[in-house]
Amino acid sequence: MHIPDNYLSPATCAALGAAVVPVWAVSVKKVKKEITRAKMPLLGIGASFSFLMMMFNVPLPGGTTGHAVGGTLLAILLGPFSACISVSVALLIQALFFGDGGILSFGANCFNMAFVLPFVGYFIYKFIKDRVRSEKGEYLGIVIGSYIGINAAALCAAIEFGIQPLLFRDAAGQALYSPYPLSVAIPAMLIPHLLVAGVVEAAFTAAIFAFIKKVSPGTIYEGAKEKSKAVYGLLAALILLTPLGLLATGTAWGEWGADEIGEVVSNGKALGFIPQGMQNGFSFEAMMPDYSVGGIPEVAGYILSAVAGVAVLLIVFKIVSSLKKNTHGVHE
Amino acid sequence: MPEWLLKDENYQPLPDRDTFIDKSILSLLRILSRIRAQSGYTGGKYSVHAPWKVAGTFLLIVLLSLSRNLWFLAAVGAYLLAALSMMPAERILRILKTGLVIAFFSFLVLLPSFFMGNRYSLVMIPLKTLATVTAVGILSHTTGWHCVTGALKSFFIPDIFIFVLDITIKYIVLLGELSLDLFYSLKLRSVGKNTGKYSSLSGIAGTLFLRSKEMAEDMYSAMECRGFTGSYRVRRRFRFTAADFLYVMVHAAFIAIFVYLG
Repeated sequence: MHIPDNYLSPATCAALGAAVVPVWAVSVKKVKKEITRAKMPLLGIGASFSFLMMMFNVPLPGGTTGHAVGGTLLAILLGPFSACISVSVALLIQALFFGDGGILSFGANCFNMAFVLPFVGYFIYKFIKDRVRSEKGEYLGIVIGSYIGINAAALCAAIEFGIQPLLFRDAAGQALYSPYPLSVAIPAMLIPHLLVAGVVEAAFTAAIFAFIKKVSPGTIYEGAKEKSKAVYGLLAALILLTPLGLLATGTAWGEWGADEIGEVVSNGKALGFIPQGMQNGFSFEAMMPDYSVGGIPEVAGYILSAVAGVAVLLIVFKIVSSLKKNTHGVHE
Repeated sequence: MPEWLLKDENYQPLPDRDTFIDKSILSLLRILSRIRAQSGYTGGKYSVHAPWKVAGTFLLIVLLSLSRNLWFLAAVGAYLLAALSMMPAERILRILKTGLVIAFFSFLVLLPSFFMGNRYSLVMIPLKTLATVTAVGILSHTTGWHCVTGALKSFFIPDIFIFVLDITIKYIVLLGELSLDLFYSLKLRSVGKNTGKYSSLSGIAGTLFLRSKEMAEDMYSAMECRGFTGSYRVRRRFRFTAADFLYVMVHAAFIAIFVYLG
């Protein structure tokens, strides 16, 4: 998910960099308040831990290996604000010394992997853990949180890639940076993350958490209770943001034209040159209509779908936790 | 001599797959050797000061990213090759290898877009990526990491950030060695078929985390004993050398070329 330089326009990089600066500022402030000066070295050591986590090759079926990002794990272990700083520092070292991820796109990479990933992952974990009060609930939170966290980060990266051809093209209409529109970028990024990377991340996070909980239960970060309010804010923001990202898809359809996309499908498949991750990408058109509600403007449709989706999830968790309470009542 | 010792035994370990251990060991070793090698770079007598190098590299990357002109790219490429040519062969190989692998990967990724009618990106993006990665490679292979982190101070980056960055690099080495040892022992203890190997992986990562927490506490105690008050200062002496002058002139020339070519 490390975006190299020259795929995003400098303007996009600057905008995302500007978006991350306040997050860093808040994180530093929070960390200073939350952890005493005695624990300041922990930030650096947390960063090296997160750096090394990405070096761990996890076996995948078929003899291949992949690696986890560990953003949600760090957020659960150290708290989301410390995780944000730690992952940012790890990303800076990768960009500066190892050529992994760009220098200009550092802000974008931090936005995706140091902000979106740990915060989404952590607040989902916290939300579920506070609702389903049992060990199972905790692990459910970890698995769902880390899975959604990494996929949310991949979605952000995909949107950043996908808006490039809309915004930046030369006089002849040629894309100046990443040439793939949202209709290609989103499935190309999300399908491998939904199928493989997300599963690796979730399994690894849960396994390490289980180990640490068994060996040294006192070391796990205890977030303040009122944190679950923040998750409502986060959810609201995400709902409002869904059309923002997907709004651009609408423009993309307008600009690229269905005929052009048809051409891509026939050419691409006929020539068989499409990299693995993109192979399934072109069928995205068929999946999309499911998310828009017919008869109303597309944007409104997206918001409605998002609200409904979140509501359904909330309802499911409420029911699950109430069932838990009931069974407890019976036992008592 | 007991009899069982004299008996011929033919133990054939069951075949087992442990590529993930080997791969993890390799990637850890690569990181460690890279950081160790880099801490030795001090730069010769005539070398350019790190703040200029960091600023120059950043400038080149911005210009490369903005430019749409193949000739500008060619000019930067020529300069980068010239800079590379003054380095030892082993480092040249490393820098070029990283750059070519990433450029080839972007070429593959962009190939489908060629059939969508985007000739521009297929040529420009891999070339720009090659140039960018080479520029960063030259910076990181000629400058010790402590010089780079020190240089960040010149760009008004907060002390706490530089402090964290410094600790991070040091502890990547310490914790990297620790996890390397853990991986070695997992490999040594996995004789024949070891089915519990996968769960050991989370044990390694978990141990690593617990150790890093202990180390952090120890480090703070050590720092406090030595009078650390929480603020962090970078001491610098700075003289403008002939090499600095040349470096700045070359990069000023690039701005001029960029403006001229548009």
